[in-house]
Amino acid sequence: MSAAPQQHPLLVVGAGISGITAALEAAEAGRKVVLVEREPYVGGRITRTHHYFPKMCPPSCGLEINTRRLERNANVRVCVNAEVTAARRTDTGWSVTLRHQPAYVNQRCTACGACTPVCPAEVPDPFNLGLGKVKAIRLAHGNAWPRRFTLDRAACPAGCRACVDACTYQAIDLDAQAQEETLEVGAVVVTTGWSPYPLDKLPELLGGMDQDVIANVHMERLASPGGPTAGKILRPSDGTAPRRVAFVQCAGSRDVNHLPYCSAVCCLASLKQAVYVKEQLPDAEVTIYYIDRRAPGRNEDVLTRVAAMEGVRLVKGKVGKIARTNGVLKLKVEDVERGVLSEAEADLVVLATGMVSNLKLQAPPFGVLLDEDGFGLPGHDLGLSVAGVARRPEDVAASVRDATGAAARAIAATGRRG
Amino acid sequence: MQRIGVFLCSGCGIGEALDVAALEKAAREEKAAHRAVHPCLCSPEGVATIRAAIDDGSVDGVLIAACSPRAKVEEFTFDPLKVAVERVPLREQAVWCQPPNHEDTQLLADDLLRMGIAKLAKMSLPVPFSAEISDTVLVVGGGVAGLEAARAAAAAGHPVVLVEASATLGGRMAGLTHLLPEGPPYDVLHPNRIAELLAKIQSDDRVTVYTSAKIQHIAGQPGQFAVTISTPQGERSFVAGAIVQATGARPYDASKLPHLGYGSSPNVITSAQLDEMLARGSLQRPGDGALPRRILFVQCAGSRDPQHLPYCSAECCGTTLRQVATIHQRHPDIETAVVYRDMRTPGQLERFYLAVQSQPNTLLTRGEVERVNGNGRGPLHVHLRESLLGNDVTLEADLVVLAVGMVPNAADGEAVRALHDAKVRAEKGDSETQRRDAAALAEQLAHHEGTEILHLEYRQGPDMPVLKYGFPDSHFICFPYETRRTGIYAAGTVRAPMDPPQAAEDGWGAAMKAIQCIEAAKRGAAVHPRAGDLGMPDFFLQRCTQCKRCTEECPFGTLNEDVKGTPQLNPLRCRRCGICMGACPERIISFPDYGVDRISAMIKAMSVPEEFEEKPRIVALMCENDALPALDQAAAQRQQWSPWIRVIPLRCLGSMNIVWIADALSRGIDGLLLVGCKSGDDYQCHYVRGSQLAQTRLGNVQETLTRLALEPARIKVVELSHHEFSRIPEIFNEFSAEIEGLGANPMKGF
Amino acid sequence: MAAIPALLPSTAFRDELRRRGGESAARCYQCATCSSVCELAPAARPFPRKQMLLAQWGMADQLAADPAVWLCHQCNDCTVRCPRDARPGDVLGAVRSLAIEKLAFPGFLGRLVGAARLTWPLLLALPVLFWVALLGLAGRLTPPAGLEAGWAYDALVPHSFIYGVFFPVAGWVILASWVAGRRFWTALGASGPRSGSFLANLMPALVEVATHKRFGSCGAARPRKLGHLTLLWGFVGAAVTSGLLIVGMYIQHLPMPLALDHPYKILGNVSAGLLIVGAAILVGNRLGDRKAAGASSAFDTFFLSVVVLVIATGMVVELARLAHAPAFALSSYILHLGFVMSLFLTFPYSKFAHMLYRTLAMVHARMAGLEKK
Repeated sequence: MSAAPQQHPLLVVGAGISGITAALEAAEAGRKVVLVEREPYVGGRITRTHHYFPKMCPPSCGLEINTRRLERNANVRVCVNAEVTAARRTDTGWSVTLRHQPAYVNQRCTACGACTPVCPAEVPDPFNLGLGKVKAIRLAHGNAWPRRFTLDRAACPAGCRACVDACTYQAIDLDAQAQEETLEVGAVVVTTGWSPYPLDKLPELLGGMDQDVIANVHMERLASPGGPTAGKILRPSDGTAPRRVAFVQCAGSRDVNHLPYCSAVCCLASLKQAVYVKEQLPDAEVTIYYIDRRAPGRNEDVLTRVAAMEGVRLVKGKVGKIARTNGVLKLKVEDVERGVLSEAEADLVVLATGMVSNLKLQAPPFGVLLDEDGFGLPGHDLGLSVAGVARRPEDVAASVRDATGAAARAIAATGRRG
Repeated sequence: MQRIGVFLCSGCGIGEALDVAALEKAAREEKAAHRAVHPCLCSPEGVATIRAAIDDGSVDGVLIAACSPRAKVEEFTFDPLKVAVERVPLREQAVWCQPPNHEDTQLLADDLLRMGIAKLAKMSLPVPFSAEISDTVLVVGGGVAGLEAARAAAAAGHPVVLVEASATLGGRMAGLTHLLPEGPPYDVLHPNRIAELLAKIQSDDRVTVYTSAKIQHIAGQPGQFAVTISTPQGERSFVAGAIVQATGARPYDASKLPHLGYGSSPNVITSAQLDEMLARGSLQRPGDGALPRRILFVQCAGSRDPQHLPYCSAECCGTTLRQVATIHQRHPDIETAVVYRDMRTPGQLERFYLAVQSQPNTLLTRGEVERVNGNGRGPLHVHLRESLLGNDVTLEADLVVLAVGMVPNAADGEAVRALHDAKVRAEKGDSETQRRDAAALAEQLAHHEGTEILHLEYRQGPDMPVLKYGFPDSHFICFPYETRRTGIYAAGTVRAPMDPPQAAEDGWGAAMKAIQCIEAAKRGAAVHPRAGDLGMPDFFLQRCTQCKRCTEECPFGTLNEDVKGTPQLNPLRCRRCGICMGACPERIISFPDYGVDRISAMIKAMSVPEEFEEKPRIVALMCENDALPALDQAAAQRQQWSPWIRVIPLRCLGSMNIVWIADALSRGIDGLLLVGCKSGDDYQCHYVRGSQLAQTRLGNVQETLTRLALEPARIKVVELSHHEFSRIPEIFNEFSAEIEGLGANPMKGF
Repeated sequence: MAAIPALLPSTAFRDELRRRGGESAARCYQCATCSSVCELAPAARPFPRKQMLLAQWGMADQLAADPAVWLCHQCNDCTVRCPRDARPGDVLGAVRSLAIEKLAFPGFLGRLVGAARLTWPLLLALPVLFWVALLGLAGRLTPPAGLEAGWAYDALVPHSFIYGVFFPVAGWVILASWVAGRRFWTALGASGPRSGSFLANLMPALVEVATHKRFGSCGAARPRKLGHLTLLWGFVGAAVTSGLLIVGMYIQHLPMPLALDHPYKILGNVSAGLLIVGAAILVGNRLGDRKAAGASSAFDTFFLSVVVLVIATGMVVELARLAHAPAFALSSYILHLGFVMSLFLTFPYSKFAHMLYRTLAMVHARMAGLEKK
């Protein structure tokens, strides 16, 4: 193989935990890497996660190490607010076009926070999945890295320059323009991750129709100290603590009418969230309605632990219908083991919605082979690999494993070392 | 460092809240060679002033008195071999969390600055490292994980030595006729691709394969492992840069499951035995060699069972589906039934589950198999409890297949070591009781005798430490390859329960880490979590008393011992956590930018008010990985707390040396707060048990304190997780109040 | 402890199920979405999840004695929502046709009709041929000469012939239904204790049938309720009309044929109308959304076809008389009589029998306290 590709950096598309990992593992082996992320910060979905199963530890802990690795490693170039708009296979790898969104807030930002209080515009908080409001200019979230504020330009009132005037460091430029850049890269790793299956596709479960019927991703925000309730688990409708919490498994997954595959993490996510609830509200009654309890490997310990908890019930039976009758949420479900139908009441219902590959929603222009659900398939081309949930539904540890392997493939693709 | 440059930033409200001129004056008192104030030090202009000072050689140490060391890192990073850098977080630790223009706030800032200068003064530059580093990757185990690891390393241009204990490569996967579908439409079996993989390996001139070979001995460190193996052709010795352990797993011993009829009837077999039959192409009932008409599969045989394997082996459901599909392909009229507790088919395997379910003559049903009765003659009777029929049922079958779980082929290095130590003590222990206890312990650990696989010449044992259930896995979800032996990475089913496709992927991942470790060794740089750290530990052995604490406590087995017990350093195994430094009573261990004297200097540099001022002084030693970020976030939210606290970041609370406590108390400091990360089974310490070690060390000093008429309550250890920033004010204020309650440190003024 | 001798549903049972469009039972993973969306399932003994399991296990006897199988109106809410496309609606339909065959008296007739997929020409042709033969022997295969307008069918086929044939047929049908019904009732009894008297509970059950109260609560297949109800009342109307005609002829001595505006006539034509509309709706529904409608097995189709044929020939017969075309009238009348006979004779064995079994199941449900709360 020619040594030429050696000089080309590797390109990693998507800076969730998989992308960060792929980029760092290659960079720490001495390769130059460009890491592209469309959000203004790295970390992707895990930044919105309160705890990981099975350890019940905060993702920010590992992200702390990873961001430190990123900022101390000269081999990695991180491009946030950027997307790949075009890509072409070359004999030395790929020729790609990057689009950098306008840098309304630039590198000079010190994250001093002078701009936010003076900003007149409020928007629903995208980081908290619309739970709560934030200013148009803000730090995307408490651990946002790169530590730079972000501006939702579309929300700016006409002619408003309040933030510009408040910033002493000329860090804000309301007239910034998008910029295009062409890069020659040796190999590409696609780690575009996932999006939650939309609640409103589950009307029979009141998905998107009742404030107190939330998705598992919302529960992560409610439990998180950086969330809309500062970590208190409260019903969105009236802000009271729920006494009865019901988890509905396979809300959309393993269902030929929705997602035919198993999303692989929802069982453990709900078991984990049952722990959130019981630790905060010891008297709360938690019921988990499942088809199969899927806790592979040593994650079985989580199932064992939660199943033994006082006030937690695991019931085999899929909830078919949820209705609000005279103010109370009623779940219609058959307890399969006892063979009886019940109309269980709940104050808060968590739908364990599954994962949809972002490649299905918007695939970057590399011609990744997709299966019919939009998960990326491994081709024979080492110069293009897919890792993390873009590849298959899997948990964080597995995503990191695959991403590390993908880094090795990218290195192999860019030719043998001297 | 001799020529210290102090660069003060007056931006981000620092200028408004503090008397920066006074701080500059303090810097002058502390003999800073160069001093400058900038309105926005992190701006290109500000950074330029620092670079200028570095380039014209007027400074060799840069003190940046601005924001947290976690902010603006790119801007404030300079050539580590040319200049030492220390950050003083005036913004987060004084301006944002204290009332502006208050004498206490000013005093706090002044202390922080003097502490920073004191530390920087004692720092030195890392010495460039160079050594002969081998590119070779040693892969132990020739199953699918090992083969893929070898392929990956070779593809990246590394020489590979693959050592397989059995006579053939391919492991369990070699014996499979088909594999589960890995691509659409996910509803038909795929042909086994192992042959293709074997061909790749055998044709790769970079890979040397030894079958029927065993590791005899591994000494040394990453980049320089001296490996000796025994092969049919005799001994072989070579040097390897890094190691991938892919020794796989074995099926759980089914003879421990008599209630399922294993042993009592030849017609009860394990899924592994069925795979052998299917590979031979002779599906038959062992009892009489006849073709079984009715086959029943029992899932979770011994798995998810506290009596046997408490964990789920993750691949048995898939294996059974594969076998049911294979049987149906060959003998469509054989009836198969699968009894499961929970069908576990994650991801697209769900589609295959549906496909198999839809086959004629196939039944997959939920239930608990209570027992299997029968002998070689006649049908077996399988008794089900909790079948969804609502009553117990008995099924008849000609052949029963137990889907038994997997047990890792790993040795518990620490246990083997403990066994060895116990035996020695049982021989020549000091007292009779000691010898008796040691003998008892040896008895307990006897089953570890001769289990060695890697035969590492490591003081802490011949193999990697294992996690719960005996897997030498990483404890970290974010860092699945972080074993506790630098440069040695587990891959495949030895690391965790997984199926063949996952094991293949795992091989690539482990190879990546191996390659990376070799590259780091070439630069003398640390690997995870302080990746790229060039500062090597330095042992001043003349003063060593052979107490062995460092060799015992290093989480990564960096140190060996000579016969006298003197530590032998293997710097390339070192991860720079400083736990040895904290353990050492003689204070002989240090790093260029971290050491006992550096922290002592900081403690000595802070102001300690006289007793009558009624202003307690508290030192907070905080873990820089979790506690410090939490503090930064609390500060960013402008939370306020006691002005009496002086924070000193530590790489790990485990690097806390007791002498700092002595220094602080003898200086009249009224209280010490130690903030580390979560310990226990689900510990979060990146160095395994930092806060635990700190606890133990404190335990040892507590009674000394009481002897000195000092209340033990003056020292408090708190565990704080990265996300618990909202607890910071409460922790600080409570402790301040407690110290106030205790009154001043009686040693004040002495 | 129940002992299941075979490991699996006997291959025979599976084939039976498959032939009747119930093979999708194999896809079920027992999530019970079906039971929870079913508007008819009683809380204490929900269906169809359990029945799907019994079908998977091949427990034919349990299914034959299971009231739930008949309480199901195949509205297919379950089929529409089933995450695995296991189509519980179709499976229960298949199970019902299997049960009808299993309970039939005598068995061979049950099997004959059960195999309608193959035997339908026989089932339709034999009765027609019977009439041809009968009239042939009586030398009545051609209409008598010199009929003036206003003739009645009595002139072509004397009523004596009709009574002579249909009273015994009816008798036989009642006997066969009685025996089968008994078998079913006893089997139901074994499935759980009953209290209260049969008759006392029959009435409310009949009212329910007459109003299709249960059917009303079904979601996915609302249109079918209308068709089904219309058809039911069409049959009732037709039966009543026949009764009234006898009264009219022998007690009131009304002149035949009745004028079109005569109440009896009107009732007859209205009933015919209902039958037409009902049949049309059901056929249309089957041709529509397959999932919501459920699969069409030969068994269903045969019954629906006979009904359609009876109605069609009936119309032709009336029109032919009004059009004063005796020869054509006679031939279509023969077909009509044949099809009516076929409909009668197959009643206990065709899908028609669900009228009997479902009513009994409803009575049992009331007596066994399985009513939906």
